[in-house]
Amino acid sequence: MAYKEVTVKQPLLLTVLPYVSIAAFFIVWEFAVSSGVIPNELLASPSQVVSTFIDKLSNPNPDGAVMATHAWTSVQEAFIGYLLALLVGIPLGLAMGWFNVVEGLFRPIFELIRPIPPIAWIPLTVFWFGIGLAGKVFIIWIAGIVPCVINAYVGVRMTNPTLIQMARTYGANDWQIFTQLCIPSSLPMVFGALQLALAYCWTNLVAAELLAADSGLGFLITMGGRLGRPDIIVLGMICVGISGAIIGFIIDRVEKKLLAGIRR
Amino acid sequence: MSGSSIANETIDHSKNREPFSFYKFITNKYFLNVVSIVAFLLIWDYVAKEKIFRDSLARPLEVVDQLYMLTYMKFAGTNLAGHIWASTQRVLIGFIAASIVAVPLGLFMALNKYVNAVVKPLFDLFKPMPPIAWVSIAILWFGIGEMSKVFIIIIGTFVPCLLNAYNGVRLVDPDLYDVVRVLGGNRRDEIFHVCFPASFPAVFAGLQISLSSAWTCVLAAELMNSRDGMGFLIKRGMDTHQPTLVLGGMVLIAAAAYGTSLLVTLLEKKLCPWKRTIENL
Repeated sequence: MAYKEVTVKQPLLLTVLPYVSIAAFFIVWEFAVSSGVIPNELLASPSQVVSTFIDKLSNPNPDGAVMATHAWTSVQEAFIGYLLALLVGIPLGLAMGWFNVVEGLFRPIFELIRPIPPIAWIPLTVFWFGIGLAGKVFIIWIAGIVPCVINAYVGVRMTNPTLIQMARTYGANDWQIFTQLCIPSSLPMVFGALQLALAYCWTNLVAAELLAADSGLGFLITMGGRLGRPDIIVLGMICVGISGAIIGFIIDRVEKKLLAGIRR
Repeated sequence: MSGSSIANETIDHSKNREPFSFYKFITNKYFLNVVSIVAFLLIWDYVAKEKIFRDSLARPLEVVDQLYMLTYMKFAGTNLAGHIWASTQRVLIGFIAASIVAVPLGLFMALNKYVNAVVKPLFDLFKPMPPIAWVSIAILWFGIGEMSKVFIIIIGTFVPCLLNAYNGVRLVDPDLYDVVRVLGGNRRDEIFHVCFPASFPAVFAGLQISLSSAWTCVLAAELMNSRDGMGFLIKRGMDTHQPTLVLGGMVLIAAAAYGTSLLVTLLEKKLCPWKRTIENL
């Protein structure tokens, strides 16, 4: 045996500290609210949030829908917008990376639209599509398409030029190089885009619902604000956070499965 | 890096002149760029003129007209420059406040595992919450004044700043540490001569992301309620159904976001000239 494997033992403190820190956070939060240091009109304690959550599971008051409806509305909007963004953005980005004509035609428009925050589209979307599903999907689509295009583009551009030259030497034509070399080698970047785009979509979903909606998690937060109910606001924020984290986790898992054979 | 060789592979930078041909001309990059912009504007103009979206899309020239009018006419108490400055000011205050705290904290977290063990879980708890979800509670806490807007911007910029500073240090090539140690450096040398310089590009990437996030946040805050700023222009345009105002606001905010990100790029070039860029991008 050439070398001995060394296992570094982690101090007990390091394994405990994260849990301590989370627990301390919740205890301080609970205590600060229940003792009145932070007035209850401004912030709800964790226990209140939990009881509101249990209540909201079956009670449509005061915002007009039960939790499941809100969650379903949001997830539906986010997924349609996200999938459309992937379907349009990734092929466009890949093509922009490889075909000069496509890049010349689409890059200027893309660069023009890119710096506009997706939220800025909300008024126009409301004019065009009303406050229904289509409008929100449009905003989420706009938000998700930018990272898709950029990452796919960069992924193709970062293909090792030596490999391209080698493929040329073996007589591959442009289309073969694009489909058999550039696309596979850009996959890690493309999967990075899946995560990024999801985060963007999820953020802007909340934004879209804050301004114009009749159900959804973002709507729940807005209603909590209008009614002066911090427990509903915090509940909405936590639900958005948790569902975003879960979806991100699933995509991460899928990515690991699919990319198992590709060196990163 | 012209003429250099990477691992036995020489890059040929010489240009070979080719005779003029029509095909080459129409597939020229700059020609295509011009075609694309012109086509974009023409289609926009056509769609607006034919009222395909009824009266909900303004023609490009009307937007320019509206913006020009705002430069000398007061709108809701201030002219165009005032509105631009109102938003920019909020972005700058929030952005600077957040980055001053977040970047050192991120670097510190990566360097000290005990700090990391305490802060990271809390941070992971807040990370998946979109900053815009904080708008309602910010209004509840700070009212509808300046403070609540700056608060949202701080929330939105904090996460990417910290995350990138943290990853920047963690992803430093470990060989570099070995080099410093072989040359007789101590922990301080490692931090100041390896960690910080090597993580700067990542820190700046984080700043860029935060900046675009900051513009999104200021817009969200101003759309909810405000009396000035570019988001206010958009919101007013939405309430009174004036597409020229909405589009004008969008153009302005895009220009402002682009301008500030250009500033950060310039700053980055000045502060860390050792950053490697990917060629042919």
